[in-house]
Amino acid sequence: MSKAPKIEDHSKQEIKYSTCYMCACRCGIKVTIEDNRVRFIQGNRNHPINKGVLCAKGSAGIMKQCSPARLRNPLLRRPGTERGAGDFIEISWDEALDMLAKRLAHIRATDPNKLAFFTGRDQMQALTRLWAEQFGTLNWSAHGGFCSVNMAAAGLYMLGHAFWEFGDPDWDRTKYFMLWGVAEDHSSNPFKIGIEKLKSRGGKFVGINPARTGYQAVADEWVPIRPGTDAMLALSMIHVLLSRELFDWDFLVRYTNAPFLVVQTPGQKGDGLIWRDESGAPLVWDLKKEDFVSGLEPHSHPALFGEHTTPDGRTVKTVMSLLAERYLSARFAPENAAKICGVPASTIERLALEVAHIAFKESIEIDVQWTDWAGRKHDKFIGRPVSMHAMRGISAHSNGFQAARAIHLLQILLGTIDCPGGFRAKAPYPKPVPPPGKPAKRARPNTPLDAHPLGFPTAPEDLVIDESGRPLRIDKAYSWEAPIANHGLMHMVITNAVNGDPYKIDTLIFFMANMAWNSSMNTKNIQDMLRDKDENGEYKIPFLVVADAFHSETVHFADLVLPDTTYLERYDAISLLDRPISEPDAICDSIRHPLLDLDRNVRPWQEVLIDLGGRLKLPAFTHADGTPKYSGYKDFIIHYESQPGVGFLAGWRGKDGSQSLRGEPNPDQWERYIENQGFFQYHLPKAMRYFRFANKEYLDFAHEVGFNKSADPIIMELYSEAIQRFRLAGLGLYDGPQPPNAVDRERLVTYFDPLPDFYEPLEQQRIDKNEYPFFAVNQRPMMMYHSWDSQNAWLRQIIAQNYLYMNRVRGESLGIKDGSWVWVESHNGRIRVQAKLIEGCQEDTVWTWNGIGKQSGTWGLKPDAPEATQGFLMNHLISELLPAKEGERRLTNSDPITGQAAWYDLMVKVTPAAPGEEGVWPTFALVSPLPGAEAKPDILQYNTRIRKQG
Amino acid sequence: MRLGLVIDLDTCVGCHACATSCKEWNTSSITAPLTDYDPYGKEPSGVWFNRIRHYEVGDYPNNKTINFPMSCMHCENAECVTVCPTGASYKRPEDGIVLVDQDKCMGCNYCSWACPYGARELDRESGTMKKCTLCVDRLYDEALPVEERKPACVLACPAHARMFGDLDDPQSTVSRAVRDRGGYALMPELNYNPTNHYLPPRTRAPVPTNDLGRPSLARKVKEWVNRVIER
Amino acid sequence: MKPSLAVIFLTLFSGSGFGLAALLALDNDFRISGGFGPLMTAILMVCALALVTAGMISSTAHLANPKNAWRAFTRWRSSWLSREGVLAVLFYPFAVADLGWVYFSDKTHSLVVLFLSNTAALIGLATIFSQGMIYACLRTIRQWHTPLVPANFYALGLAVGASILAAARIATGGPDGAIASIAVGLLLIAAVLKAIYYFWIGKPSGTTIQTATGFNRGTVRLLDQGHTFGTFLTREFSNCVTRAAAYRLRIAVFVVGFAGPLALLTLNLEHSIGSWAVVAPVLALLGIGVERFLFFAEAQHVVNLYHGRMPASLPKMPEFMRRKAPAATPLVVHYDKG
Ligand SMILES: Nc1nc2c(c(=O)[nH]1)N[C@H]1C(S)=C(S)[C@@H](COP(=O)(O)OP(=O)(O)OC[C@H]3O[C@@H](n4cnc5c(=O)[nH]c(N)nc54)[C@H](O)[C@@H]3O)O[C@H]1N2
Ligand SMILES: Nc1nc2c(c(=O)[nH]1)N[C@H]1C(S)=C(S)[C@@H](COP(=O)(O)OP(=O)(O)OC[C@H]3O[C@@H](n4cnc5c(=O)[nH]c(N)nc54)[C@H](O)[C@@H]3O)O[C@H]1N2
Ligand code: SF4
Ligand code: SF4
Ligand code: SF4
Ligand code: SF4
Ligand code: SF4
Ligand SMILES: [Mo]
Repeated sequence: MSKAPKIEDHSKQEIKYSTCYMCACRCGIKVTIEDNRVRFIQGNRNHPINKGVLCAKGSAGIMKQCSPARLRNPLLRRPGTERGAGDFIEISWDEALDMLAKRLAHIRATDPNKLAFFTGRDQMQALTRLWAEQFGTLNWSAHGGFCSVNMAAAGLYMLGHAFWEFGDPDWDRTKYFMLWGVAEDHSSNPFKIGIEKLKSRGGKFVGINPARTGYQAVADEWVPIRPGTDAMLALSMIHVLLSRELFDWDFLVRYTNAPFLVVQTPGQKGDGLIWRDESGAPLVWDLKKEDFVSGLEPHSHPALFGEHTTPDGRTVKTVMSLLAERYLSARFAPENAAKICGVPASTIERLALEVAHIAFKESIEIDVQWTDWAGRKHDKFIGRPVSMHAMRGISAHSNGFQAARAIHLLQILLGTIDCPGGFRAKAPYPKPVPPPGKPAKRARPNTPLDAHPLGFPTAPEDLVIDESGRPLRIDKAYSWEAPIANHGLMHMVITNAVNGDPYKIDTLIFFMANMAWNSSMNTKNIQDMLRDKDENGEYKIPFLVVADAFHSETVHFADLVLPDTTYLERYDAISLLDRPISEPDAICDSIRHPLLDLDRNVRPWQEVLIDLGGRLKLPAFTHADGTPKYSGYKDFIIHYESQPGVGFLAGWRGKDGSQSLRGEPNPDQWERYIENQGFFQYHLPKAMRYFRFANKEYLDFAHEVGFNKSADPIIMELYSEAIQRFRLAGLGLYDGPQPPNAVDRERLVTYFDPLPDFYEPLEQQRIDKNEYPFFAVNQRPMMMYHSWDSQNAWLRQIIAQNYLYMNRVRGESLGIKDGSWVWVESHNGRIRVQAKLIEGCQEDTVWTWNGIGKQSGTWGLKPDAPEATQGFLMNHLISELLPAKEGERRLTNSDPITGQAAWYDLMVKVTPAAPGEEGVWPTFALVSPLPGAEAKPDILQYNTRIRKQG
Repeated sequence: MRLGLVIDLDTCVGCHACATSCKEWNTSSITAPLTDYDPYGKEPSGVWFNRIRHYEVGDYPNNKTINFPMSCMHCENAECVTVCPTGASYKRPEDGIVLVDQDKCMGCNYCSWACPYGARELDRESGTMKKCTLCVDRLYDEALPVEERKPACVLACPAHARMFGDLDDPQSTVSRAVRDRGGYALMPELNYNPTNHYLPPRTRAPVPTNDLGRPSLARKVKEWVNRVIER
Repeated sequence: MKPSLAVIFLTLFSGSGFGLAALLALDNDFRISGGFGPLMTAILMVCALALVTAGMISSTAHLANPKNAWRAFTRWRSSWLSREGVLAVLFYPFAVADLGWVYFSDKTHSLVVLFLSNTAALIGLATIFSQGMIYACLRTIRQWHTPLVPANFYALGLAVGASILAAARIATGGPDGAIASIAVGLLLIAAVLKAIYYFWIGKPSGTTIQTATGFNRGTVRLLDQGHTFGTFLTREFSNCVTRAAAYRLRIAVFVVGFAGPLALLTLNLEHSIGSWAVVAPVLALLGIGVERFLFFAEAQHVVNLYHGRMPASLPKMPEFMRRKAPAATPLVVHYDKG
């Protein structure tokens, strides 16, 4: 026998449970702590999200915790110095908050919209939104507008749940999984767990992506598609399905608006709207009664196809007929789609037939009794085990809303929505299509908004514009330029504010977003704009507040820096009122709580908001007598109710903690969460797990617990009447607001198609594709999170420099050698980067890892860090505005429907750099260290056993 | 007993979770610390026990990307042990784990030359050779819950591409996986007889498509006969 | 492999020292050309000891944790490195005793001296063998895993030793024919062996990136090594000579290490060029130093395959001399194509 291994001494260790924050997946973690230092972070085996596993970022959390980039004190730009010069003085929290509260109080009393409060990759939108609402500014949103609003909006305007975080493939049952444009996504660990499950069951995994890395590496079939053309691929698959009558008749008749009759009176008002009776109920043709009946009635027998004449003489057609006419046309034939997508026609046809085979020949059943919305009992759930997921490869294009709808349409035709083996909803979804709630329109001094700043417009009346049609929000969300911008357009805030278009603001607060760098398009210009002054020598954005935990590029531009804690040092609620962590079978939420003592003068941003809320006497945060209502965030979470019995946390409610989801505040709620390893999970009874859009028990339950305002069934909208209303406005056929500008009218007419369709991404319509022949896209590396992981001493060893990846044969044909420097040029600018020639790249595409490039001197890195000297951002090439056009105002480079930033519409040319032209270009000025910045060790020996750390 | 890992190349997505969780555990473990050099500077590097390489097999468009994690294979014929002049490297007879005794190693690098799999890395700061311990200090730590007496990398792997067990026991999950999936060891011609095995990507039968409706181009929309379905 | 100066010096100097000691013993055993006198023997023994010591000392510079160096003597049953250490150390008592005895007894042919010098010689020869085996036993480095390595080490150690002896004999004006002939012979053998070695390592090895990863379906290319910068592995097993440079250095080895000394010694045999012959061992050491650098630099560790850095082949002998490469595919793994 060998000598026994040294087993560690656990006596000084403590195990605590919390939630990871290295990305938005929000896995459960089990943290071993020794001497106020982290010994080991593991996945929590009992946690519903990650079930014990942990990704690279999660395990490397230790290195985030000892990053020299951590902010240590509130900082004020030294009076008299220039913004962006990096000259800061440390101030106390009292000074900082006094100064800010004074400024904000003035804004609130005069013109609350002069405060723009935009929050990035946070997981507490419920709180920041409440705060903004209470403050009374319309100018709030989180990062969804530059992230994935296309996915959220497409799903919510069609199914009631969505890709992004509102739905999941049924990993335990699906037999065929199509992944559209995903490198990593928010559901990182569940996806990996799921893919393994699928593959070990013998299921097929198809990856549709111009690049073959990560998930596509293990895909059974890789479909290298031309970026921006997925809608065409999906619709062409639909063409094949329709041409062979391969669709789920029952599903369409029962759960969707496919049989609804649409008025066909081209050129007249009301054209393209659903034909309704006086009560507003949509009408269908009943095959048994041979008459028009309400489409909402149970036990009717609606015709799926057909054209009729109404008693008043108008032609009406079923949605399904319109749909079939559209997609059966030669435009969507695989042969034509192949030319657009770069995917062979035979592949398109085969993929369609494969999904049809699995859906219809390999359907599955779960023997569970359930009741549908009409009260009918069923003894099984029947599943069509095809599932799909899509994300930014779809979303980050200006045709992404329609592309995501096209994919959903494919799923609906196959009947795979929220069924066993299909694409399942996660509570509190599904919601009505679209969810109720319109965006707030009016800001008044010293008054909270009368609605949430964000909502779901269904008609031009819901736009947030003034009488002359001008946007009321600084980001122009819900204006004619982006009518259903459900998440705002954070990427436009700096540009618009600096241009004073639609108006000037006073204070801009950024929380958790690196807007001067990787989350803005056109980084260099954005930095210049932040420094821009007006004729009077005042900054065009007079006051910039940045709440961050680390020394990011944006911190460098702040006038006031409010340093946050790390995720191991604060209370957090991952709430159902926000982006939920629920699983399809269980309603879940979770918390964080301080695991480590603070060693710096930093405060959780939540505490700061509650504190400011009190100082500003915002009603929700103040007693009638003007004293603060909450002692802090913990107290707020316990007591705040958004509707009676509903708060941020759904577990252990009721005075004694005996109620789930709804109940009175429980003073011991945090303790219960902590005891339960930081999460709450409410398992849905088996009968409530599928077909929730039409599952009576579930619908009643969702109504009771406050998820939905009514228990009515949710009807999927293959055809979107809301979108058609906007189109009518563009056509001048709408009684209500109409766009004053020709360009807006034209955009409404062209892109607001009530049926999903394919159009060429906007930037691509405007540039010379012979000049710029390559599509340029990004991917998230699995082991890096945007800009903030380069400070991680372990992760940056894995990737400290990015390259421009391109197809080997294509690259060689241009005389580009592997590893050589190349110029990459777009209509907006050029960069010099290092190229890598690989096989796993569609021929017309170049790509790089996202967020690796850094500005020298930031993120606790030494000035010569390769992230700054070799790495690069594609952002320099991307413009936040579309290429200019004669006689037209500059338009945002976003989806014309949702305002989703069109990061991946970029077209470039790639040319070899001249001999001697080496190193990345452009480079940015060296950022000077912050006062009191930690030393950067040359050698790091992290070890909790032997106390020695460099 | 022959404890080791089986790595499933069919599901490894190349996420590096195994590498960082290994680093995290072992930087405070029996061969601690795993030193990092220039961690915030120009050429960051450090000691790791597990590294993931990424390969491309075949030419576009018939290419496949393979993510390929490698750590110590705990070879049966561990030449790294044979060649070690100090006796610092040893193979535990009871479970086959190959370890380096940090108190004995003189840092001559010789064992790393003998290792075909790049499993050994010298820590310049301690002057000693370090390598995957198979997390031996987790395996036998009775204070840990039974489910956690496994290597850190295995616990972390989100794609469940890493299995741990006794490859001597023909009934163990790892042995069965190797049998059923055609698992192989790397460079068998060198005769190190590695304990760790790799499962090749699965071959999947094509999805049948010939049992579906025939295309009928004549049948246009209007001719579609409705079906009577109760809503 | 990254050539380490410490290891180059170790093998170069100690090998020469042991070779010198062995040939010195042999010379005195058989009084070849009359043998060396006691003083000269002692001086040459000091020389040999100095070379061995220089090698041994330089070798410790290679250790990252020298405080444990003493433990290297413990594993002589399994490790050639340990054996080398043990034998090298064992050499000293005999060599030093021999030196002392010769010096103080002023005799080179007493029983004691014969015993001591021959034992030291045998230990030295065994040490050279161990030294060779340190490399030859590694299956991970094809260029080393061959009996040619210990054979080369012998030939080179002895050739240098012989040229030192020959030079010493010439410098002291002694009858030089036999010893110089031995040196010439050994240098020739060493050169031929080296040529055979270079020819042999030019063959591609059977293990390729395909077999190493198990993917035999198509070309295997490294996409990413999983770390942006170097690691211990990429540094330790780095490629540091280009093919062209290696080719030039090989020529240098033959010109400086073999042809030069050979010419000087042969010229001396014919024309007695006197003290110029002293340069021969210096040239031999220089040339063989380059040879030793190449020995490391050209060694390709199999782990380089995983980094996609194994050159297709090493510098080769001219085409007409090359054999056809054996087909080698030890492992075939099939999988579904994407
Ligand atoms: N590790 C890690 N995880 C993260 C993040 C991170 O930074 N790091 N960020 C988080 C955030 S904020 C987000 S928004 C999500 C995003 O997660 P993903 O949706 O995975 O986003 P991307 O990495 O942008 O991946 C886009 C993928 O789409 C492909 N693609 C590009 N254009 C097209 C196209 O037109 N069609 C198709 N089919 N594919 C296309 C790209 O090659 C790429 O693989 O990830 C989240 N998770
Ligand atoms: N070219 C290109 N650009 C892109 C994308 C792309 O695909 N291509 N993707 C876009 C997308 S989808 C997104 S979501 C954005 C993401 O971009 P950002 O939202 O800018 O994300 P990060 O870079 O992670 O920056 C978030 C900030 O949060 C800070 N932070 C981290 N932890 C904490 C904390 O605990 N508290 C506080 N207060 N701050 C913290 C970080 O230090 C960092 O400054 O990038 C966008 N930009
Ligand atoms: S996926 Fe990774 S980084 Fe994201 S929450 Fe989970 S463990 Fe943390
Ligand atoms: S953690 Fe698993 S999936 Fe990720 S690289 Fe390691 S083995 Fe592969
Ligand atoms: S993999 Fe290398 S270090 Fe591990 S046992 Fe085998 S030879 Fe030794
Ligand atoms: S480096 Fe250490 S473990 Fe390796 S051979 Fe030398 S002494 Fe042995
Ligand atoms: S078994 Fe342990 S030491 Fe070995 S690679 Fe896995 S985590 Fe690292
Ligand atoms: Mo995002």
